[in-house]
Amino acid sequence: MTRPHASDVAPVEIDEPSIDTNLNVDHPWIVLVWNDPINLMSYVTYVLQKVFGYSHEKAESLMLDVHEKGRAVVSNGSKEKAELDVFRLHEHGLWATMQQD
Amino acid sequence: MAFGFKRTIQSKGPDRFIINLRADLREVIAAVCDDVLAALDDENAPDRDPMLRRVFPVAHATDESVNEAYRDLVHSDLLRTRREALERVSATANDSELDRATLETWMVGLNTVRLVLGTRLDVSEDGFPQLEADDPELPAWALYEFLGVLVGMVVDALARTV
Repeated sequence: MTRPHASDVAPVEIDEPSIDTNLNVDHPWIVLVWNDPINLMSYVTYVLQKVFGYSHEKAESLMLDVHEKGRAVVSNGSKEKAELDVFRLHEHGLWATMQQD
Repeated sequence: MAFGFKRTIQSKGPDRFIINLRADLREVIAAVCDDVLAALDDENAPDRDPMLRRVFPVAHATDESVNEAYRDLVHSDLLRTRREALERVSATANDSELDRATLETWMVGLNTVRLVLGTRLDVSEDGFPQLEADDPELPAWALYEFLGVLVGMVVDALARTV
């Protein structure tokens, strides 16, 4: 991922969403986002906030995992939920895959 | 981009954004969206396979049965939402004011253009290459950089007003 050259990035303060964003380890499918050299770091963070309702902090930390480790688990659940999550990430141009944990 | 004192994208609350862009840059925005729409339909488009793989990635790294089921389930929806986004950006490229939903469509549509262009340019983590002034790829790289700055500003405007 990259940063835009001339963009002025202001710190963003966002209230924590009330939904439970902990990954449930009982579910058999995980959704991964893979690093790619095109999507902007700020874009990936915003998409993770929008698609999953994650806080800015959580979304940014997942984005940094993707950037530094090459991939990160962003959600999990049933196969149907994983397919829907992958679809929504693909709609936003993120490189996402699903696999059975 | 508007050089001067105005932000390129000014937020007037979470659902109203003023777009300060020169007319020629707006023309570029509409044109690149139309180009990608045409490329999606053109079976002889350059680098068609890498482009399609990037715009419509597989759902599973190795399991072809998962990929087939996923393609059957969503490919037509993905293609439709992608086309609608590009058409909407092209149709609103000259608007001086956008609501949040339309600005999010700009974000996704312009990012799609970056994905297609970046795939054609074989962009890597190394970023902008050293190019001679007469390099035939220079205009495409300049466009790619412009779109990166613009998408970054759209994201910032949206993120400021979450």
